[in-house]
Amino acid sequence: MKVLIVEDEKTLAYEVEAFLKKAFYIVDLAHNARKGLELIEVNQYDFVLLDLGLPDKDGLVVLEHAKKHNSEAAFIILTARGNIEDRIKGLDLGADDYLPKPFSLLELQSRMQAISRRKFGVKNQALQLGEFEIDLQKRIVAHNSNEVEITRKEFDLLSYMLLHKNRVLTRIQLSEHIWGSFVDDDYDSNYIDVHIKNIRKKLGAYGPVDWLETVRGVGYKVKKQE
Amino acid sequence: MKLLTKLTLFITLSKLAIVVLFVFLLPNLIERIASQYTDFYLKEQQKKVMQIISKNGIDYYLQGEESMGSYTMLKEEYISLSPTEPRLYPDTIETSERIVEGDTLNYRLLTHNFLADKKHYLLEIGKTTATISQYNRPLQRVASYVLIALILFTLIADLIYTRFLLAPLGWIIKSKLVNRRFPFNDNPHPVKTSTSDFQYLDNSLITLMNQIHEAFEKEREFTANASHELMTPISILQNKIENLMGEAEVGEMVQRKLIEMHRTLNRLKKIVNSLLLISRIDNEQFSRSEVVSLKELIGDVMEDISHRLEEKEIDFKLNLSNDVQIKNCNRDLLYQLFYNLINNAIKYNKENGSIKVYDALHSGSFYQIFIEDTGIGIPSDDIPTIFNRFKKSNLAEAGGYGLGLSIVKSIANYHKISIDVTSAVNKGTTFTLVFPKEVIQ
Repeated sequence: MKVLIVEDEKTLAYEVEAFLKKAFYIVDLAHNARKGLELIEVNQYDFVLLDLGLPDKDGLVVLEHAKKHNSEAAFIILTARGNIEDRIKGLDLGADDYLPKPFSLLELQSRMQAISRRKFGVKNQALQLGEFEIDLQKRIVAHNSNEVEITRKEFDLLSYMLLHKNRVLTRIQLSEHIWGSFVDDDYDSNYIDVHIKNIRKKLGAYGPVDWLETVRGVGYKVKKQE
Repeated sequence: MKLLTKLTLFITLSKLAIVVLFVFLLPNLIERIASQYTDFYLKEQQKKVMQIISKNGIDYYLQGEESMGSYTMLKEEYISLSPTEPRLYPDTIETSERIVEGDTLNYRLLTHNFLADKKHYLLEIGKTTATISQYNRPLQRVASYVLIALILFTLIADLIYTRFLLAPLGWIIKSKLVNRRFPFNDNPHPVKTSTSDFQYLDNSLITLMNQIHEAFEKEREFTANASHELMTPISILQNKIENLMGEAEVGEMVQRKLIEMHRTLNRLKKIVNSLLLISRIDNEQFSRSEVVSLKELIGDVMEDISHRLEEKEIDFKLNLSNDVQIKNCNRDLLYQLFYNLINNAIKYNKENGSIKVYDALHSGSFYQIFIEDTGIGIPSDDIPTIFNRFKKSNLAEAGGYGLGLSIVKSIANYHKISIDVTSAVNKGTTFTLVFPKEVIQ
């Protein structure tokens, strides 16, 4: 998958680039609108990550132009402006998603995957996790073709950990995924534990859940042997 | 009392006072004028008689008689000439009685001594007092009518003019003070008036409003800029930490430090986000165009938050007997409001405590929702300041950074919802949200 990052904040762009490269994306960088449009005109991208506050042009203008040249690409707006009008305008202009800064790279990747499934019809066949089968399209967890009943949030949590398997996810990262950047008064919530406990309880009734590890003092990890 | 009412009252009362004064003084005044005029008239008569005597001699009147007297038919006036001792009677004008042909009548009487043909004579000219005051009544009546007509005319003229004069003040109050809602986005139109005081007042108000508007715009701009300038570095830090945490070769000790950094950064992020949220609400940057069912909304909040009850095994009772729809609101903000309040009720509750959410609809006036917990409570000294930013009561150890209730307060103000708090330490706290009539659908 080919990604273009249009972001004037170079340090930030490099971090996103490094992260995506590690996840096997091919990444181009543009630090202003002009360069971004140039690249879009000559290349076909699967994803364009677009900052709205560019020095030479408003990101929304770039989006409008880019849509004409590269209508196949999925556009994700990354912005620190965070006002609702921008969000509505962006989505109206055909952006596929909107991520307010500061965002988590893991969240970005998860959104990109969701778009891949939705937009490009990328079908990851049902994933195997121990004795369980997880279908991201249908949002179903099954054990020997018996569907395990879990809540929407629990499924979100499980699929997020699955996406970032073999990586320790902190409670903050997990709560951010579930509750978004919702302004919560708790800066160190342990409420995620309740959800994990429920997942273990519900799935544990069918089979072993030892692939869901607790990393003491940090968070959780889904360990998966390929 | 309104200025116009005061002026109207004053004008009317002062005119009334003038009328009363006149009605009391008029008879006296007219009598005085009549008597003065009579004296003048008598003197004129005397002059005429004296002229005739000096021209034609005294015999013109006496016709050989010793004395002479003459009166009109109804004895209203009389004149007499008679010889007299010098200075027996002084020259006077006075009121006295005279008997004329058996009738005793009251006369205003002029007496005059004069010399003619070397003899002293006394001239008397009289006018009955009844004839003097005969015009007094009609005169009084006419004068009263004229006066009342004049007073009425000036009263109406005064009232119309003051109304006209004060109209710009009314417009200023209406357009600049009553109907203006913060943040004064529309351009104010100056009120047309030739009264310089009103012009000055109007211009001052417009200037003041423009200044407020400008300051407000600056703050709005600042918020947008601050949000960008603060969020970008936080974003960079967060992504750097995340990338580092994903590195395989990072040791356990470094990993732990990274997680601590991540946690601290997250705290910073939430504080900045909260401040920006408050500032955006206070700057009215959220639309208020949705209609929301509170029952559904609280249901959604509970779906998000109910798992938090488990940790302390808190008993939660939701009992809303009315499905009230709130109009002109922002759903996300109301969601946040209830989220924060219920979250607090959980966070500051005790093990096996309980939370009750119930309502009361006062039909035709307002609607209340109560959020009652059995938590640690708030000392009464702290209640007035719990909505202040960064104000934490004695609950610092429970986590949080003291912005949750500030957000609640801002959202409530934004939706014209008032909040009452009652609390008893170690017993619990009740937050009461009062929705005014005008926000209820």
